[in-house]
Formats: sequence, structure tokens, C-alpha cells
Amino acid sequence: MSDRVTLDGTALGVGTPAPVSRAHAAAGQGGGMAAWLGGWTSAWNTFWFTPADPLPLAVIRICTGLLFTWASLVWLLDADAFFGVDGWQRPENVWRMNDQPWQWSWYFVSGSPQVVRFLALAGVGAGLLLTLGIATPLAAVVALLSCISAVNRAPLNVFGLDDTLGMLLVGVAVGPSAARLSIDRLLAPDVQAGRPSVLANVALRLIQIHLCVVYFFSGCGKLLGASWWEGTALWGAAANVQYRTLDLTFLADHPLLTNALTLSTLWWEVAYAALVWPRLTRPLALAMAVPVHLGIGLAMGMMEFGLAMITANMAFLPAAAFRRLSPRSLSSPPRQSAQP
Amino acid sequence: MDRSTSPSPRSPWPPAVRGLASAAIVAYLAAVIVPPLAGPPPASDLARAALQPLRPLVGVLSLGHGYRFFAPNPGPGHSIRWSMRLPDASERTGVLPDPEHDRPRLLYHRRFMISEKIAALVPPADAPEEMRREARREWQPLVKDVAGQLLRRHDGSEVTLTLIEHYLPTPEESLRAEQGTDMIVPLGTYGLAGGAPP
Repeated sequence: MSDRVTLDGTALGVGTPAPVSRAHAAAGQGGGMAAWLGGWTSAWNTFWFTPADPLPLAVIRICTGLLFTWASLVWLLDADAFFGVDGWQRPENVWRMNDQPWQWSWYFVSGSPQVVRFLALAGVGAGLLLTLGIATPLAAVVALLSCISAVNRAPLNVFGLDDTLGMLLVGVAVGPSAARLSIDRLLAPDVQAGRPSVLANVALRLIQIHLCVVYFFSGCGKLLGASWWEGTALWGAAANVQYRTLDLTFLADHPLLTNALTLSTLWWEVAYAALVWPRLTRPLALAMAVPVHLGIGLAMGMMEFGLAMITANMAFLPAAAFRRLSPRSLSSPPRQSAQP
Repeated sequence: MDRSTSPSPRSPWPPAVRGLASAAIVAYLAAVIVPPLAGPPPASDLARAALQPLRPLVGVLSLGHGYRFFAPNPGPGHSIRWSMRLPDASERTGVLPDPEHDRPRLLYHRRFMISEKIAALVPPADAPEEMRREARREWQPLVKDVAGQLLRRHDGSEVTLTLIEHYLPTPEESLRAEQGTDMIVPLGTYGLAGGAPP
């Protein structure tokens, strides 16, 4: 049960071949149904319950915190219209549209301007605390509640950014995201806190799987459209004036380039869930995410969405990649003091 | 994922905890995977049935997403043009979203979603009468609220809303600098009833 399997292809840049579990090997040698199921159990346990370095989760917490703070500030700019009783949508209409009573929102409690602004401000505060890593577990939960409340109260105003922030905040709330790179850690240096933990692994796995689901369905949805097969869909995005923040209409003169960009985006999305797990193809899948999402961000004015998706992709990066970029005292695992 | 710092792959969690955690993980993953299978259309009856027991979890965590970004095809953009009569009988016009004044860009995008989501419910002006009547029941309450918010925002007494579907030129038309015709669908006129906005 304790042996490792190669379900996720192990880490980027870690060259040690992963051992195959005895149960798995037995299944391969015709050990029967019990051994085969044992192999699955072993793989499941290894995939979810092996301790992982919390550093990637800490970096994701900071990026998510910054994005969420900004998103909350923008909500706050017009909070009465988004969440107030006489807003773009009145609560009774939202209640009718949502799947009630499950799609709750703290903005349903009161639509008064003071309460609405206070609640929107609570989102900003939670985002700031999350970014800095102060009272992080509480901040993460409040940020998640704030995100869900906004989505459920203002369904006419939300888009992919909010889906992605929700996905990231679940991971940040579940795992020990303050174990590194946080004020919490500086103020109360717990020897155990920065060490590899199962919860860090669970949190990162939740983000990884959710991200694969997002790309898979996004890609499959595109397969229903002729313009994606014809390689012209990117033109449709470039020529849409309402989205456009960067003039890409020069693509009209380069149909083959439009084809290449469209098809590479399509097949990258469709194949992401398969390409991101094997060690050999993972760098390709992750590298492609950067131009795709920055391109959407720059050309279509959805930079926050692009950055949130890139942040989610970070869940697949090894801790070593972040360790090289961050202060040693904050990013390395704490050392136990020498025994007398 | 880098586990190079982990001395042993053995999980420190006892089997009972792993079992409980596994159940929670399976429930969460089901709530993530089933909603995009169940909608938007086309979707199977099986997926819609599978969604039913998951509705509480999907709703509470707001996981009911389809993730169909720019699918099946990136279509034309939409805006809502409004013309408002003020109490002093003067007139004021505007557009939702307003690219000139809706800053920062994220605020523009949040308002842009209003016109995009309403447009998804409004059939073209030349659609069959029955279809338009059916669709009106869906979009009119939303438009009424938007009208009310605009009236309050600008202290107006009556506002007329028009949905604009901006023509999406082909590459050839773009090269010839040709402008197509935008499609226009009236959304109605809304006013103060008994001194209160609609």
C-alpha cells in the first residue's frame, strides 16, 4: 500500500524513476481482481495522500489573493448596483434564476447600501490578508464566501474569472497555504508548518484536476463549432470590437496564421488533461498556457482572467521551480533545532 | 508535483482519515465534473439526472459552470443602447457597457456581461412570434431590472432599451474596410410607475 506509482509521472525535473507498487505489479502479472483493485487503491492513496511541499500552494495563495483583492475592489466600485436591492438585478429575480435554496449569497441577507458596501469591503480585506498571509485560514474562508456570494448574487455580471477564482480559493482554503511566504509563518514559526503535508498535496491536486476539467469541457465545447475546425475562430475573437483591446485585424491578411493559432489553441485545450500529467509533455502543456492566456488577456481585455488561469497552471509546477525565485528564509522548509 | 523533500511516500494519515477524505474528494470532484456534462445544451438526460443529488453541493460551492469559453463559435458582441427621458423633459443617451467611461477594464467587462447574457436570451427580431413571446418571459424581468438601475443611476423618468448585435466582419470585409449592418432588437420602454422605478 505504501509504494509509489507513476500516476502523475512524478515531478518535473526530478529524474528518479518512480517505483511501481507491488500491488500494481501483481495486477500486471495476472494477480486477479483483488490485486487489480489493490493497485487502484494504492494509486489513489499515493496520488492524494502523499505529503507535498506547500511552497507552490503558498505562491498560488499570493497570486490568488492579489487577483481576488483587485476583483473585490472592482465589485466595490459599484457595489450598490451589483449587490444592492435595486441593483442591475433585484434579489427576487436572482433568487428565481438560481437553483435555490442552495445558491446562497450573503448579499441576500440585506440589500441596504451600508450592509452591501461593508460586505464588499470584507471581500477586499480578506483578499489583502490572504495575499500577505495574515490569519490566512480565516481569510481564505472569508474570501471564498465572498467570491461565492458575489457570483450567486450577480449572475449577470460574472464570467470565467469568477469560476477560476472560486477554483483557486477552494484549494487555498483547504491546504496549508500560509506555511510559506506568509506573515503568519514569520510571526509564529512552527517547525512543522512548512514541511511537506498531505493537505498541501490534496489542495494542489484539487486545483490540478479542476483545471483539467475546465480545459477539457472548454475544448469539447469548441469542437461543436465549425469555426474551430475551420481554423477561423480566432478571427471571430479578433474582430469583436466589444472585446478588443489590441488590434489583431492584421490577421485578416494572414489566414494560415489564423488557422495555426486557432487549431493550436483548440487542440491544446482538448489534449491538456492528457498532456499535463506525463513528465515529458508537461512542460509543453504548461508553456502553451502562458501565451494563450496572456494573449486573451492582452487582446481581449481579460487580463485578470488570463492571470488567474496561469496561476491555476502553477499547481503543476514543482516546488523547486518556486524555491529558486523566492527568499530562502521564507521558501525553504524550516529546520529543526539540533538536539542538545 | 515535487516530492523530493518528502523522505517517504507513505501517507501519515491513518486509513480511516484517508477513507473520509476520499469520500469528500469524490463528492467534490463529482460536483466539478457533472455540471458541465449536464449543461449548457446539448446535454444528456443521464447527466441531468446525475446532477440532481449534487445540486446542494454544486449550489453551495457555486460549481454550476459549463466552461464553454468562446464555444461553440466566437460570436458577435452585444451592447444595450439606451435613451432616457429626464424629469425636466430633456433626453439622455448612453450605451451599456460604455467603453469610454467604464473603467477599469474589469468593471467594463462586468457590465459587458449584462448585455451578453441578455442577448443570449433574446431571439432575432425576425424570429417566429411564438418563439419571441416565449423568450420574452425569460428576458423581460432581467431587462426591467436593468432599466430600473439605469433610471435610478441617472435620475430618469423613462428609458427605452435596444439590444445591438454588432456585425462581425469576415476577414475579406475587414480587408476591404467594409462595415456590415448591426442587428437591432427593441427591448421596450420602461418608466416610473407611481413615482417608483419599474
